[in-house]
Amino acid sequence: MIHLFHVTKYYQGCLALHDVTLRVEKGEFVLVTGPSGAGKTTLLKLIFGSEVPTEGQILVQNRNIARLRPSDIPYLRRTMGFVLQEFKLLPGKTVFDNVALPLIIRGLSSTEITRKVMDALRGVSMEHKKTAWASVLSAGEQQRVCIARAIVNSPLILLADEPTGNLDPQLAHDITELFKAINARGTTVMLATHNRQIVEQVNGRVVSLHCGRLVTDQGGYR
Amino acid sequence: MKRALYVLREAVTGFRLHRANSMIGIVTTAFTLASFGLFGLTYLNVRNVARMLQQDLQVVVYLQDDISDADRERLEQQLRNDEQVAALTYVSKAQALAEFRQQFPEESRLLEGIGPNPLPASFVITLASSERPSADLADFGERVTEFSGVEYVRYNRDWIEHLTLIIRYFELGAVGMGIVLGLASATIIANTVSLAFYARKDEVEILRLIGATGLFIALPYIIEGAMLGAMGSGVALGLLWSGFEVLRARLADSVWLSDVRSLLKFFPAQVSIMLIIAGMMLGALASFLSVHRWMKVRV
Repeated sequence: MIHLFHVTKYYQGCLALHDVTLRVEKGEFVLVTGPSGAGKTTLLKLIFGSEVPTEGQILVQNRNIARLRPSDIPYLRRTMGFVLQEFKLLPGKTVFDNVALPLIIRGLSSTEITRKVMDALRGVSMEHKKTAWASVLSAGEQQRVCIARAIVNSPLILLADEPTGNLDPQLAHDITELFKAINARGTTVMLATHNRQIVEQVNGRVVSLHCGRLVTDQGGYR
Repeated sequence: MKRALYVLREAVTGFRLHRANSMIGIVTTAFTLASFGLFGLTYLNVRNVARMLQQDLQVVVYLQDDISDADRERLEQQLRNDEQVAALTYVSKAQALAEFRQQFPEESRLLEGIGPNPLPASFVITLASSERPSADLADFGERVTEFSGVEYVRYNRDWIEHLTLIIRYFELGAVGMGIVLGLASATIIANTVSLAFYARKDEVEILRLIGATGLFIALPYIIEGAMLGAMGSGVALGLLWSGFEVLRARLADSVWLSDVRSLLKFFPAQVSIMLIIAGMMLGALASFLSVHRWMKVRV
């Protein structure tokens, strides 16, 4: 599903990732851990097509990210979901409209949009807030809506960059359970975190980065 | 359908959210386009008056004194058959003298001491409408001079050429001003849209995150620019029309200039619609160029 071959990434001469080789299979739950600045976000951004590797190759669903034209990137992203630490919701829109956005972009009919949005909202227990403005939601609720938006397209891959970074331990636990449930339905999940509790809660494959280098890869395919 | 509605709604939302910026954009665009429109309107009226004057071109063909009646009739027929001739009037020597006496009663005694009537007979010819009156007038004059029985052909080519030259300068000026003021309007609109785009950069980032294409992201801004352009040109036309009507009303009060009033024309409806469409396209193009560079960013 995701293959990285000797990937190196420099940002204006600064090393962010060094010679990372990694293979993630369909349906895996991979936790990317490491201290701040280890290269976790860079790794996810490379997989998401936001960045191009300085060296090496990245295959996502058999498509070489480095060789994709910028105009092809949006179509790749429609098969993936991305959840960020900063919630990134449109404050001037309702919960329903925020979650519906990826489906509107794909040009789905109103009936399909309503069905899929309600399914996604039910999946994160936010269906009762569908008419609420995104700006009035609590932090936990906002992150749930972000997850609903990321899964509404039934993505094959779900990437999450420190999704619980702004949440208290209980909310972080609940959100992690959501990711586990999504993974249990067959979606490949890559979650970047430096929170030990989440690592223990997921009990999945752990890829550790340090200063841009992959230092350990435990519990999964190598 | 839902997608098109979303794009339209976003364009209107952007317009409404940045009302102050949008209003500044509309007003500055309107004044810039009104300056161009003022020049265009002046050009249109000068050209209309010039065309009217040019279409009324007359050529006087003076006949030799010894021309026989038969030769004169043959020449008249030859001229009538000419496709450049719209109308022809024969003025005999006696008529020419009578007209002279009528027009210049003080000077008519000058002719009394010099024997028989010295004024030649002539054909006064009105030429058919032409796209290039100056050149056609010269061609016709040169051709008719060669006709048998013709003494001299008189046509006032100089002022026609001057008029044509003035119109040409006006045309060049209109094109030059159109380009300069068009670019100024485009820059203003591009700047307004850039500010709107920058103000909503978080939204753009979210759209990129969820797989929106560059076109989907850019379309609301392009539509917003088109709306600014259309409204700007609409306001510009309104300003021009108001000014034009005030001028016409003033001219109506003037005894000396009341005739000029009937000659003045505003842009025809088709031209007005085309100006609004041009403003709309200008706005859309400026917005496209403004947001296009952001679309290439791989975020």
